[in-house]
Amino acid sequence: MAILEIKHVSKFFGGLAANSDVSFEMVSGMIMGLIGPNGAGKTTLFNCITGYYPPSRGEIIFDGHRMNGLHPDAVCKLGMARTWQKVRPLAKMSVVDNVMVGALCRTNSLKKAREMAMEKIHVVGLGNRVKFLAGSLPIGERKKLEVARVLATQPKLLLLDEVMGGLNPAESEEIIQLILDIKNIGITQMVIEHDMKAIMRISDRIVVLNSGEKLAEGNPQEIVSNKAVVDAYLGGE
Amino acid sequence: MAVFLQSMLSGILIGGVYALIGIGLTIIFGVMRVINFAHGDVLMIGMYMTYFLFTLLHIDPFVSIVVTIPLMFLFGAFLQKVFINRVLGALPQNQILLTIGMGLVMSNAVMLAFTSDYKILSTKYSSSSFNILGISISSPLLISFAITIIITVALYWFLYRTDTGQAIRATAQDRGAAQLMGINVKRMSIIAFGLGAALAGTAGALISPTYYIFPQVGSVFTLKAFVITVLGGMGSIVGATLGGVLIGIAESVGGVYFGSGWKDVIVFMVFLLVLLFKPSGLLGTSKD
Amino acid sequence: MRPFMHNMRGTSTLPVLLAVVAVAALFLLPNFVESTYALHIMILIFISIIMGSGWNILGGYTGQYSVGHAAYFGVGGYTTIILMQYRHIAPWYGVWAGILVAVAIALIIGTICFRLRGPYFVLASIAVAEIFRVTALNLKKLTNGAEGILITDIPPFKIGDVVITDFMSKVPFYYIGLVTLIIAIFATWMLQNSKLGYYFQAIREDQDAAHSLGINLTIYKNVALACSVVFTSLAGSLYGLYVGFIDPSTVLALDLSVQIVMTCIIGGIGTIFGPVIGAVVLVPFSEALRSNMIAQAIIDSGLVSENSGFGFFLKEQLSHAHVLIYGILLVVVILYMPDGILGFVRKLTSKRRKEAI
Repeated sequence: MAILEIKHVSKFFGGLAANSDVSFEMVSGMIMGLIGPNGAGKTTLFNCITGYYPPSRGEIIFDGHRMNGLHPDAVCKLGMARTWQKVRPLAKMSVVDNVMVGALCRTNSLKKAREMAMEKIHVVGLGNRVKFLAGSLPIGERKKLEVARVLATQPKLLLLDEVMGGLNPAESEEIIQLILDIKNIGITQMVIEHDMKAIMRISDRIVVLNSGEKLAEGNPQEIVSNKAVVDAYLGGE
Repeated sequence: MAVFLQSMLSGILIGGVYALIGIGLTIIFGVMRVINFAHGDVLMIGMYMTYFLFTLLHIDPFVSIVVTIPLMFLFGAFLQKVFINRVLGALPQNQILLTIGMGLVMSNAVMLAFTSDYKILSTKYSSSSFNILGISISSPLLISFAITIIITVALYWFLYRTDTGQAIRATAQDRGAAQLMGINVKRMSIIAFGLGAALAGTAGALISPTYYIFPQVGSVFTLKAFVITVLGGMGSIVGATLGGVLIGIAESVGGVYFGSGWKDVIVFMVFLLVLLFKPSGLLGTSKD
Repeated sequence: MRPFMHNMRGTSTLPVLLAVVAVAALFLLPNFVESTYALHIMILIFISIIMGSGWNILGGYTGQYSVGHAAYFGVGGYTTIILMQYRHIAPWYGVWAGILVAVAIALIIGTICFRLRGPYFVLASIAVAEIFRVTALNLKKLTNGAEGILITDIPPFKIGDVVITDFMSKVPFYYIGLVTLIIAIFATWMLQNSKLGYYFQAIREDQDAAHSLGINLTIYKNVALACSVVFTSLAGSLYGLYVGFIDPSTVLALDLSVQIVMTCIIGGIGTIFGPVIGAVVLVPFSEALRSNMIAQAIIDSGLVSENSGFGFFLKEQLSHAHVLIYGILLVVVILYMPDGILGFVRKLTSKRRKEAI
């Protein structure tokens, strides 16, 4: 069953179309890769889906709810959470407090939130950083913290915006494993990523955006052999 | 109708001075993204400078601006180098608090030195006026308006026609990009603050024949400067020019029709509405 | 970030013990202190802590720097005093009315202004306070305009037929202030250890991130504002009743808004005891200047002769300079200790600890 349906979504800024007529569906439990050159409209699409701005046209249906016009907090409560391309740690709060803020979306008890937070912190492997200030972490650990924080909101669908950006190969590998672990828990994920090898490895399906439009959709093999994609995107690298 | 034209005209005349104040603030904001809460106090310093040049050296206030402008420029450059420069990367709130503190220091230091008594700079022409078509025009306001126009034109020429001016505008548009283009952003910041202070000081000099001079006079003008720049769009020089004239007219006409007690309420209401619904200013195109 | 919370949670009983002793000492103080001037300073410190703690909830914890809190201080004070003076409603009811009015107004303003961020919010908060000041100046029938309202007398506080206090001395104000400030500090502590506290701080650190984590920004910013205004309004009512006079240029002025922010900045914003430290430093200092104690001390110390021009100047002018000191303090704090005295001390001690290792 489709957990997320994007139906003919367009987003205009002034006269410019950042997304035009994008449609695809995601099945529960899958990992969808979202790729495309810079400025293809990937992050704009994320922002539309998660309520940062309403789509100019089209519909977004998540888990049976029409999402158009919902604010990010409501989106989060419905079970969809996102990370940021440029990490946004709550710098002057500790790691555990950061994750607790996410957990408090589901509970009013600090004690319960702390338990939930500790569990997620261990999932992402930040167990030895619990009391550190989030602002003092290096980039790799900030990215993990961001994942722990969104996991604590108990999402059904997770949107990861370049969680591997700026990481070294070893750190990227850890994130890849983390994404696969999250898949095993049964959480559906949409992943924006520039690292083609990584995206091919983790994705069940891939959507390619180019100049705001959907260029292609298919499983990784289909995408690598799609001529339009190779011309527009892979060839251009 | 005559009353309307009369208030309209005095609004435009005083609006010219407001424009100078607004342009100064907007240049500082544009180049450094710092809102200068000490702007009115800088203006107050300009007023005192003019006052003492007049009473001690008998230099006419409209002539003394040739001294006031460079001195105030140096004063502004000093403030930028010593204080503002250190908080450029800090939280905007801290920048605001710093300039508030600087303003308090200026106004209270002046009070300590010259007491809080109101001073009046009275020239022969302070209260003179003449009539055209039944509308009376105050001579000092008219002279100051003429000087304002000259300064504004010179400023536009500097900002749009000289390399330094263009570098300042480039920095105002995008500090990061300007830096990449090889513009010495630090130097531009110092010039911008100097210019801002010089403009505020000049405005102070120009109004000193018609206003009371006292240490706390600045806060009124700081608030007015905010209204003007927000109205024109923060960082927009053309906007600040128009905003200044607009506020001059609004005050003058509003004072006649709503009573002078309430006109400030109206000005601040307009300010709030613009902040809320058109934060890029009346002329601005919204961008994020 | 939260050393006090960890302490209070029971890892150590020492701070709790210290707090109990300090509170007990403060409660006993009026029995030993004869000087009404000392009590006067204490009451001013209490009021300053209450208003600082109020602002701290919104500015320190939630990161919404209002430089217009005088509006709520003034609305609280005016409501209480107008009700007492013109409607003969006793202040212990009027204070609650003041809070209600101030919070109601705050929620309307908050709903409108919280769309703005950073410097734009600061500007809007100033504009709102100015609108209130000018309105109070103009609504002469209600507020008596610029002349202000002089309180003729406060009715005695009775329970049944027993007169608890007739408000003739400073002592009742001392105790009211002390109790209110303890409530304010306790409320801040409760907030810090609650979901609200977490949400407030998340909003302070990063609004967009907070929004994406399920936090409704408008609602929680307004909640923070309401909590904040409760204490600001209380401080305003208390101030008006204590001083016995209220006018727009003292309770609705931009200077007061700045002073409220400064109390917190100097102590350390977003900490429970920041406003306490700020008030303890600022109030006596500015009062000493205001009452010419410092000028007198300089002359008495023999540094400057009373008859010299400079000595005369000091005596004449230094009392007007208390605001100058505010300005200098503000500049110094922002430049050299942006986390306030508390943050500065903490940095020093952590450095020493690191060196010790």
